[in-house]
Amino acid sequence: MTNATIQEIEGIDDYWGPAFRSVYEGEGGHEAFVQQLDERIQQHDKEIEKLCNFYYQGFIDSIRELLQVRSHAEELHAEISNVDANVKESTESLCTRAEELIKARRVELNIAATIEKMELCLPLLTTYSKLKTQVEAKRYYPALKTLEQLEHVLLPRVGAFAWCAQIAADVPRLRRAIRDASMADLRDFLENVRKLSPQVGAMALVQTQDMLGRSLANIIKNRKEAPPAGREGGGAQCPHELVDCSPLHRCLHIHGVLGAKNDFVQYYRAQRKQQARLVLIPASGNLHDSIQSMKNYLNAVLGFFILEEHLLSTGAGLVSKDWLLDTWSMAVTKVASTLRTNTSLITDPTLMLSIKRQIVLFINALKCYGLPTDPLPLLLQEMAEHYTEVLMQRWVVVFRDILDNASFLPIEVENQEQFDAVMDTFPCDADELEAQPFPRKFPFSPLVPAVYVQVKEFIYAWLKYSSGLGLGGARRAGAARHSAALLLARSFSGCLAALFRRPLPLVQLVQIIVDTQYLEDATSFLYEFISNITGSELVTTQTAGSMFQAARDDAEKQICENLEKKVDEFLDLENYDWLLVEPTGQASSFVTDMLGYLTGVLSSLEQLPERARAAAARAAAARIAQRLRRALLEPAVRQVSAGALHQLDLDVIQCEQFAAAEPVPGLREGELLEHFAALRQLLDLITGWDWSCYLHDVGLEGGKYALVSPRDAAALLDKLREAEQKSSVFSVLKKNERDRRKLLDTVLKQLRQLQNQDG
Amino acid sequence: MAKTYDYLFKLLLIGDSGVGKTSILFRFSEDAFNISFISTIGIDFKIRTIDLDGKKVKLQIWDTAGQERFRTITTAYYRGSMGIMLVYDVTNEKSFENIKNWIRNIEENASADVEKMILGNKCDLDAKRQVSKERGEQLAVEYQIKFVETSAKDSLNVEFAFYTLARDIKAKMEKKQEASNPPGGRTGAHQLRANEQQRKPTSWLSRCSVL
Ligand SMILES: Nc1nc2c(ncn2[C@@H]2O[C@H](COP(=O)(O)OP(=O)(O)O)[C@@H](O)[C@H]2O)c(=O)[nH]1
Ligand SMILES: [Mg+2]
Repeated sequence: MTNATIQEIEGIDDYWGPAFRSVYEGEGGHEAFVQQLDERIQQHDKEIEKLCNFYYQGFIDSIRELLQVRSHAEELHAEISNVDANVKESTESLCTRAEELIKARRVELNIAATIEKMELCLPLLTTYSKLKTQVEAKRYYPALKTLEQLEHVLLPRVGAFAWCAQIAADVPRLRRAIRDASMADLRDFLENVRKLSPQVGAMALVQTQDMLGRSLANIIKNRKEAPPAGREGGGAQCPHELVDCSPLHRCLHIHGVLGAKNDFVQYYRAQRKQQARLVLIPASGNLHDSIQSMKNYLNAVLGFFILEEHLLSTGAGLVSKDWLLDTWSMAVTKVASTLRTNTSLITDPTLMLSIKRQIVLFINALKCYGLPTDPLPLLLQEMAEHYTEVLMQRWVVVFRDILDNASFLPIEVENQEQFDAVMDTFPCDADELEAQPFPRKFPFSPLVPAVYVQVKEFIYAWLKYSSGLGLGGARRAGAARHSAALLLARSFSGCLAALFRRPLPLVQLVQIIVDTQYLEDATSFLYEFISNITGSELVTTQTAGSMFQAARDDAEKQICENLEKKVDEFLDLENYDWLLVEPTGQASSFVTDMLGYLTGVLSSLEQLPERARAAAARAAAARIAQRLRRALLEPAVRQVSAGALHQLDLDVIQCEQFAAAEPVPGLREGELLEHFAALRQLLDLITGWDWSCYLHDVGLEGGKYALVSPRDAAALLDKLREAEQKSSVFSVLKKNERDRRKLLDTVLKQLRQLQNQDG
Repeated sequence: MAKTYDYLFKLLLIGDSGVGKTSILFRFSEDAFNISFISTIGIDFKIRTIDLDGKKVKLQIWDTAGQERFRTITTAYYRGSMGIMLVYDVTNEKSFENIKNWIRNIEENASADVEKMILGNKCDLDAKRQVSKERGEQLAVEYQIKFVETSAKDSLNVEFAFYTLARDIKAKMEKKQEASNPPGGRTGAHQLRANEQQRKPTSWLSRCSVL
């Protein structure tokens, strides 16, 4: 057991508690344990002795050896010190060299780095100088490219040098300068374009004209006359070549580079739109002054849009189809309205024709360039109407002139030559005349051929307008017929009507009636003429009939008025002695003069149509009857003697004879006499003293004295009574005279009653 | 009814066609002139009232057409005429020579005591003159007719000619009247027409005295 404890103590380094307990509590107590410990110590001593003995020799040897190492070390030490000194001596220069080398090496590296940097700078600088020269040379597009390179490639590569910063700062300035300069170029271009576009338009119109007039014959002729050579405009083949568009394209590129292409396009369009507005306002104010100003205007407009159209076709997006059409539609409306206002003031047909030709050319050119032409064709139509008006105004002057200088005498020709000359200018049926000896007399006056020729002239002039409008022959002919008829029915008739405003001599009136008849009959020849020159079928639908009926009516009316006035003049000479006792048995001289005059005049109206002559005779007869009756019933004449009554009766008989003799043909039998019927009945009643019959029949249709009113009968009877009273103042009345007086008074009373009944 | 005139004189214009008869009449009646030739149909007349010594004198002036065609019509008017203007054109020799023919014509057709006067018209056209004034005067002396040169265009002597002729007629008539109707024999409520003077004795007054 004790052994175990010692083992335990040796085995355990700490927690020796249980071991100590066993020592105290074990058998034999702690003596045992001490003994044991001694035993143990002895054991260990023996072992240590053994161990020492074992290693002693080795130890001695080691010391010896160590002593030996000590000397060796000392030797080595010396040797090493020696070497060290040697090395020290030899490496000292080496080190300085190395140091030098390092320094040189560093310099070398620095130089290489500098060269590298410099090499990077050099292109920047050359580019910069290139840029400067480019800008100076106004080669803006390459300059911009250079600038771009400079800014985005070269400058970042070089790095932050002060001068680089300066260049970098310069970049936007240059860019702005380039932009400004290119804008200036654009403005120059726009200005240039404005100057050149009329030439462009002019050239396009010339080309259109050439094209329209193109025919084999013309082409050959032109070839022969002009060997192929550059056309005017510096050899430009197309009108747009007259304008150098490169500045515009350059500007566009520049702005493209500047990233402002859209802005530029907008700016360009805005500028052009503004220019378009300027172009559309005629430069010379009044286009109707001369054809040249009209040409200039159309040239400018056309040139403008040809250029735009060219820009559209060359792409680049400056001009879009929509924009072009939009601008054009604004422009064409303005053009049409400008032309409309200007042409509406024109009164010169030649100018209108030139303008029309120009507009037609303009329209054709527009078609060539694919621009819509509406509403210009409509304008041409309106102008056609105006042209007709202008022509008609012209011809009004011509007609007025013809009428002012008209002799209104029938044409008389002395020989065949003169006869043929008339027949050549005016178609008429002259078979009868042909048989007559010279001098021959045409029924119409020179007015007729003159007007006929003028109407033909008018038709020529009128047709000039419609040529080149692409109308068919039939339509042209129809319109020409219409205009010619209008000319005659309106303009010429108007001139005739104006002629009637002042009283005309009889001869003129007669001739006018005859002449208008011939003119009307000639309308069919006019239509034939129209169909000939328009190459269309003859149309004979419209009967000329009553084209000048109004004028003839006027003339007839004036003839009647003329005769009535003459009758009045004769009757103003009437100088009845109302108290005449004994009629002379002769008609009053004013009556015989008048009837002689009327017979002469009426017979000299032989050329007049029957109707007109009859009307004249009727008017004269009516007026005579009216005036004689008025003279008889004139209230201012208080007394009328039986003698005066008989004188008047005699005069009326003369008139009745004149009427009954039917001084002109074409009257209804007894027609003229009817005008004297009322007067006749009145005179018969009074002179025949037929009162019972009158009073019996009064108010009865178809009575013997149906045309005598009680008032007139009473008035005349009253006058008669007054005269009789006056003549019998100093005499004593016989019985029958007294009876007569009594009857007279009774009749008068009855008549007054009747008169009162009638109101 | 109040009479509008005291005397009515019927005058006649004769002469070759184109001498200016119508123009003279136009000048006298309308005081106007028309450059264009207005042909006359057969016969025409105009009336103008003039004042002679306080008397209203109505002139009915007949204008004749020279054309042969109307000769028969116009000669009928010779008879009633109290005065005749013979017109020639001083620029037309022929028209002057024809005056003699016209005078013969008058002698054949007109009443013997008709007053006459010769007018040399268009005296404004001096450059074209073919008949001198002296020859006109000489002719007038030969026939014992008054003569004056006129211009319808320039209104020269036209009034004068008509007034002269009218005054002569009036004088002649008044002389005749005095001869047949001694002064004081007539209270003269109104003047009778010249060509009615033959009927004067049958006026109601004289008739009255018979009763
Ligand atoms: N220069 C001029 N021309 C006149 C004169 N009287 C008439 N004439 C012209 O002579 C032409 C004939 O005149 P007209 O009166 O018709 O002559 P008629 O045939 O005698 O009636 C017309 O052209 C008139 O203008 C005149 O006094 N001087
Ligand atoms: Mg005449």
